[in-house]
Amino acid sequence: MDQRFEGMPKAEIKVDGRKITRSHVSNDWGSQLLWEVRRGGEVVATVPARASDSYEITDPTPGQYEVVLQMFQYEGYEKDPTGKYTKSKFVEVSNKVVCTVG
Amino acid sequence: MLQIGDVRVPVCHGVTRRSFLEAGATGLAGLSLPAVLSLQEAGAVESQKSQIRNCITIFLVGSPGHLDTWDMKPDAPAEIRGKFKPISTNAPGIEICEHFPLMARMMDKVALIRSLHHKTGATHENGQRWMMTGHDFNADSMKPHCGSVISRVFGSRGMLPASIMLPGKIGNTGSGPLHGQTAGYLGSAHEPFFLNSDPARSDFKVSDLTPPDGQSEFRINSRRNILKQLDDVQRRTETNSSLGRDTAYARAFNLLTSPEAKQAFNLAEESDKLRDRYGRNTLGQSCLMARRLIERGSRFVNVNHFDTVFGISCWDMHADGGSLNNTYADYERLLCPQFDLAFTALIEDLEQRGLLKDTVVCVLSEMGRTPGINPRGGRDHHPAAWTNFMAGGPIRGGQAIGSTDKTGARPQNNPIEPPQILASIYHAMGIDLDTTMMPGPGGRPIRLVEAEPIDQLFS
Repeated sequence: MDQRFEGMPKAEIKVDGRKITRSHVSNDWGSQLLWEVRRGGEVVATVPARASDSYEITDPTPGQYEVVLQMFQYEGYEKDPTGKYTKSKFVEVSNKVVCTVG
Repeated sequence: MLQIGDVRVPVCHGVTRRSFLEAGATGLAGLSLPAVLSLQEAGAVESQKSQIRNCITIFLVGSPGHLDTWDMKPDAPAEIRGKFKPISTNAPGIEICEHFPLMARMMDKVALIRSLHHKTGATHENGQRWMMTGHDFNADSMKPHCGSVISRVFGSRGMLPASIMLPGKIGNTGSGPLHGQTAGYLGSAHEPFFLNSDPARSDFKVSDLTPPDGQSEFRINSRRNILKQLDDVQRRTETNSSLGRDTAYARAFNLLTSPEAKQAFNLAEESDKLRDRYGRNTLGQSCLMARRLIERGSRFVNVNHFDTVFGISCWDMHADGGSLNNTYADYERLLCPQFDLAFTALIEDLEQRGLLKDTVVCVLSEMGRTPGINPRGGRDHHPAAWTNFMAGGPIRGGQAIGSTDKTGARPQNNPIEPPQILASIYHAMGIDLDTTMMPGPGGRPIRLVEAEPIDQLFS
């Protein structure tokens, strides 16, 4: 039986200075959980979020950093010739927060 | 029409009492449950039941690459060491893959066995037979699964079957049907009970505990009354064997209507937070179910992480571009995180409930994967070396037993073979292998497995 994931994981994140903290993830599919960090719309970091419920922005580059939690949504193992999944993907599972540096 | 007691029973040529009983029970409970329970009344050879611990095995079907998980070689060339990095753990000197951050915090409870190997073919089935039974064998000499051995020698502890497999049996892994998941010569009474349903799904049901559509409890009880009265009338003419079978049917009925059994399989009784902690996926919810079943009387629960290697994301990382197209991405995004969450939740949960000291937890697989990464970026089958591990019961955690050479190709010291793992499981469960025998083929008493436990696990 292949796995079928139901419902959507959900977490709340909060920002305090440069530190972002996440809540418990409800309906946790158990797949990879990441902090996705963007600056000026560009992804500047994806950081594993399982081991700790907080993440601190250490990049000294000035700018507005937008942070969100993402989880891998498995929809099938299929990949294209470059190795990218054709169905499975990361999806956002939290609100977004903004942190200003500099 | 035949009158038996106050029950009117239709009879005709060609319909025996036995077939009538079977038809009745089949209509209620399906075939598998009575088969599991049938003959289970036969006694145990050894009676040390009170001392016997429980066991949960997690079988990682497909086989994780040892170099990418629990036996990393960061100093090896890039084409051998792979993509992932090691992290330190709370056990001094032991490093594991960065994608097991939660497990790294409880390595003091885990004993890694890094020098496992076997010398037969590099198929999944070879390894499954070794690791599930302690033997390799062919169709003419089937050997029993270790859960069946426990069922035969020590029986069940209550309403639930002694040996249960979650969520279902291993199916097609490429080279035939002999996976080592049957009772073999121990007989159908000791076949594992297969759940055959995904406990992570919202429509999860245990087919053997769910009356067929249109059959109420009243009808079930009516049939049970008919069977009871048939038994009362004909009991004197039956053999011991068929009486045992009838008792098995009675147990099937009891299980079908037992609130206790239904409760054991009801994950909705667990808090949402705990279910999340295990992971809302097939492995996670199966591990949670395993804890519930052990807590309520099953002695041996095996969780298969996947029932095939084809057309799904699983540990069999060939990266072949076809139906075996698992890659590092599957390990990183799905498999390692799922395992990390489920395994650590199980250990944590068992410990919090005081069950870990009485429950041996083993993580097993068929083999390792090649030290050299193949041209497509995967690793292929490698039975010459791999890592499995144990925790709980009397297992001394925080250690790595045996080691492989600098490329992970072969055991370097303390080579361990699969029967030693089975012997260690039995020993960890509290079984004295020198005094406990089971009936072998033809009823001849035999040892549970022809190997000695790994001393270092317990010292």
